[in-house]
Amino acid sequence: MRNWLIGLLIVAFVSILGCSHQPEVRVAVAGPLTGNAAAFGEMIKRGAELKAKEINEAGGINGMKLTLIFGDDAGTEKEARAVATRFATDRRILAVVGHFNSACSLAGKPIYAENGIVELSPGSTNVSVCEGSDWTFRNLYRDDFQGEFIAKYIKNVLTELQSVGVLFDNDDYGRGLKDAFTAEAEIIGLNIVAAEAYDRDNTDFKAQLTSIKAKNPEVIFVSGLYSQAALIVKQAREAGITAQFFGADGVDSPDFLEIAGIAAEGTYLTTPFTFGAGGEEALKVAQAFEAEFGVPPDTWAALTYDAVGMIAEAIEKTHNKEAQLAENRKAIRDHLASLDTAEEGYKGITGLTYFDKNGDTLNKPAYVKIVKDGKFTTAPKQMLEL
Amino acid sequence: MEQFLEQLINALVLGGIYALIAVGYTMVYGIIELINFAHGEIFMLGAYLAFALVTVFGLPFWIAVPISMLLCAGIGMLMDLVAYRPLRNAPRLSALITAIGVSIGLQNLARIIWGAKQRPFPPESLPAFLRPGAPPTEPLPAFSLTETAIALPGGAYLPYRDLSIILLALFLMITLNRLVSLTKIGKAMRACAQDRVAANLMGINTNRVIVITFAIGSALGAVAGVMVGVKEIIEPTMGYYKGVAAFAAAVLGGIGNITGAMLGGLLIGFAEVFGAGYIPYGYGSGYRVAIAYIVMIAVIIIRPSGLFGKSTATRA
Repeated sequence: MRNWLIGLLIVAFVSILGCSHQPEVRVAVAGPLTGNAAAFGEMIKRGAELKAKEINEAGGINGMKLTLIFGDDAGTEKEARAVATRFATDRRILAVVGHFNSACSLAGKPIYAENGIVELSPGSTNVSVCEGSDWTFRNLYRDDFQGEFIAKYIKNVLTELQSVGVLFDNDDYGRGLKDAFTAEAEIIGLNIVAAEAYDRDNTDFKAQLTSIKAKNPEVIFVSGLYSQAALIVKQAREAGITAQFFGADGVDSPDFLEIAGIAAEGTYLTTPFTFGAGGEEALKVAQAFEAEFGVPPDTWAALTYDAVGMIAEAIEKTHNKEAQLAENRKAIRDHLASLDTAEEGYKGITGLTYFDKNGDTLNKPAYVKIVKDGKFTTAPKQMLEL
Repeated sequence: MEQFLEQLINALVLGGIYALIAVGYTMVYGIIELINFAHGEIFMLGAYLAFALVTVFGLPFWIAVPISMLLCAGIGMLMDLVAYRPLRNAPRLSALITAIGVSIGLQNLARIIWGAKQRPFPPESLPAFLRPGAPPTEPLPAFSLTETAIALPGGAYLPYRDLSIILLALFLMITLNRLVSLTKIGKAMRACAQDRVAANLMGINTNRVIVITFAIGSALGAVAGVMVGVKEIIEPTMGYYKGVAAFAAAVLGGIGNITGAMLGGLLIGFAEVFGAGYIPYGYGSGYRVAIAYIVMIAVIIIRPSGLFGKSTATRA
């Protein structure tokens, strides 16, 4: 018993000593650190860490150290709710960067709004993510734009390919994007011959692919995430399907290439950002990232890097040490909401970010990438004007 | 017709894998009336261990698989010794909760060791005929052979890998069936399943029989794990998703009955694939897992003890 008490005292003492005298501000980052979107979570974590490191090396935010708290939502709504509750009720956390999956951002939205804390997503593209909440923002485009873009790209650029089969993830992201895509396809007269759903927990897509194959589409659009898309492409090639594959930003992960192997070759995909189009500042960050983590950054690392930067800027401009937590949290929200024109927008490596009254970012273009020799490369034909 | 033939192959492969896992659930249940939820994790470990042996130790695939089976058999035996044997005479619920605990523990252990990322078997580590095949560019005459597949009449292809999975599953299940009905240990297993106390009184070392049951079930689970790893992907949660479907297969076939588990596995595989393939407007494909359970529930309503289950009126 005495040993136990002494031990406790030592731990308490050390932890008091361990507290540095530098004041700190805490920002939370929520994403799928485990589960079947874990490759995204890893990049999000690294992007955030890099930005925080740079800020702290430059003296912090008004002399305060920026500390990141990570939360793992595993890409599921249930875990997202738990993480959101933990963050929203933590008296030390000022704002949240996240979540990644649209379903998770949607699940967290009411919890963040109720507790008055900003949720800034660097990855959720479902149309309704920011709707109806003053507290939810995102720094990338929406799926209605992305779906329309993909339909037009196939129609106008891949002119030889006219019939499309769609395979979609049966969740908020996959369904929302598929709906946007099919709506636009009907308007511009792109022929959709098949639409099959799949469940994200599944790893066998042969049954769906066999039914799609019977309809013989020239393009197969996968509205879902990289790990299923990779298995779909792989299993499709094995089943003798030779159609052109097209994916959206959910496929934009180096893990897509790793899992699919040679089957990934030639796949088109859209993305909100590519380092090739990002200019000098972006390339510098990419180098720093690679030096730090040994792998090149992806789109999501870049968007998270910018999201953390935006929050840090908001804290820098509004933080009042004397004020209550709720006031400081609200000040961050008000600052973000005030960035509503191009002139006032935040200038990050992924371009200019400013919000409409919902908290959506509508100005960012979509880029098209293609897999060539086992790597993502910027597609020869872009379509920056819709 | 071509589509039907392909779906038939898809269903046979999936069903074969489910059957191999389901056998592990049902054998253990038959003898100690424990639903061993950690069996799905053994299946997952089978895939990971073979993967590690191939990539880290550089062993050839066909040596890695039997070693992985042996290791998993060992893990299964250890699981019984450490987790279940001390609870043999405890209320059944205690053992069930322990099984869930072991399952969560093993799943997170795999996550710590190998990370949460999904991993494919590196194609170069596989024997040539098991590798993912390049698309055949033009239709071949029926029954001609490519590097990785057989062309079927009507333009469908049967990859050697899928054929191997079907044949291997069939072979293992026939062997198991013969083992249980013809050998001495098989006889002892059946005796334990009928009445463990009486079997013990007759001089059968029931603890030994139970441990061997765990070993056999785990080794078969490991093979199924490797199959899924080669065909699809390896991830820490794979045991949960496939395990639950296989458990449904075991219940559908009549839990405790080995033949029932085999047929149950095939039935669940067929329900999933044909449900996804032929129910239109995305209702089939989006809910293919649900369809499998609907089939299970339908069977249970008509025959509460499953297809081959014995009547269990005396048990709660």
